[in-house]
Amino acid sequence: MTAETFEPLDPVIHSPLRLAVLSILLSAKQADFGFLKKATEATDGNLSTHLAKLEETGYIRMKKSFRDKKPLTTCVLTDKGRAAFGRYVKALESYLPGRAKKP
Amino acid sequence: MNDDQAREDIRIIKDMLDRTRRAASESGTLFIVWGVLITLALLGTWVLGLLKAYRWEWAVWVGVTVVGWVFSAVYGYRQDRKAAVTTYTQIAARHLYIACGAGFLLVGIALPRLGAYSYEAISILVSVVSGILFFVMGGLYEWSLLRVFGLVWWAGALGLVLVKGNDRILLYAVLFIVAYLLPICILRAKHKREQTRK
Repeated sequence: MTAETFEPLDPVIHSPLRLAVLSILLSAKQADFGFLKKATEATDGNLSTHLAKLEETGYIRMKKSFRDKKPLTTCVLTDKGRAAFGRYVKALESYLPGRAKKP
Repeated sequence: MNDDQAREDIRIIKDMLDRTRRAASESGTLFIVWGVLITLALLGTWVLGLLKAYRWEWAVWVGVTVVGWVFSAVYGYRQDRKAAVTTYTQIAARHLYIACGAGFLLVGIALPRLGAYSYEAISILVSVVSGILFFVMGGLYEWSLLRVFGLVWWAGALGLVLVKGNDRILLYAVLFIVAYLLPICILRAKHKREQTRK
C-alpha cells in the first residue's frame, strides 16, 4: 500500500460561491455585482457576505461607484487572490486519482 | 475532501470561465458598420473609376474612415460604460481593432497620399492587414474558422496582384463579401446563440 499526501485547501476559497467568484475574476479584468450575481445564481445577501470575506482576506478589491445615478460595485482580483487561486487549483489536483504526491 | 468534491470544484471553475467567456463574446456590431461603410466606399471608388474621376477616390475613403472612427469611438465608450464584465480577451481584441484601424488608415490613405506607393496597391495592402485582423481574432476567440478567413485574405492579397485596373476593385469587393461579410454574419449568429444559452 502506498501512502499519498493531499495538499491542504485554502478555507477561504473552499466554498462553492467564493470559488465561483474567483473563477470569474480570473479571466476578467473586472466584473460588477450584477454580473457575479447572475453568473453564480446567488442572492444579493449571500453574495455580499462572500464578497466581503474575499475582500477581507485581500483576494479581491471592491470599488464602489455610481452608474446612471445607481450604486455600482465592481470587483477585481488582486495579485494575492490570483496566487491563492493558483495554489488552490494545484492543491485540488492532488485530490484527483493518480495525482496525489508520493511522500 | 474526496475526489468527487474535487471534480465538483473543477466543474464550478470551468462553468464560471465558460459563462464569463460567453458574456464577453464579440457582437460584431462594429464590424457590420465598418463593412457597410467599406462596401459604400468600394462602390464609390468603382463608380469614380468608370467616370475617370480618380482624383476624388481619396475623399471617399477619408469620408468613410472619419464616419467609421467617430462611430467606433462613441459606440466603444457606450459599451464600456454599460459592460458588466470586462475580460482580458476583450482588452486584447480592442487593442487589435485599434492597431488594425491605424494600419488601415496608414496603408489605405496616409501612405499612398504621401506617395509611398500607387493607389492601385491599396487593396492589396488592406487585404494583408485584414488577414492579420481575422487571424489574430480567431486566436483570441479560439475560433479556427476566423483564422481560415485570415488565410483567405492573404491568399486574396496575392490574387489581387494578378488583376489590374478597375477590375481589381471588383475582385476586392468579392473578397470582401466572402472573407469579411460572411464571417461577420457567422460571428453575429454565434454571439446571439451564446447570449441566449444559459
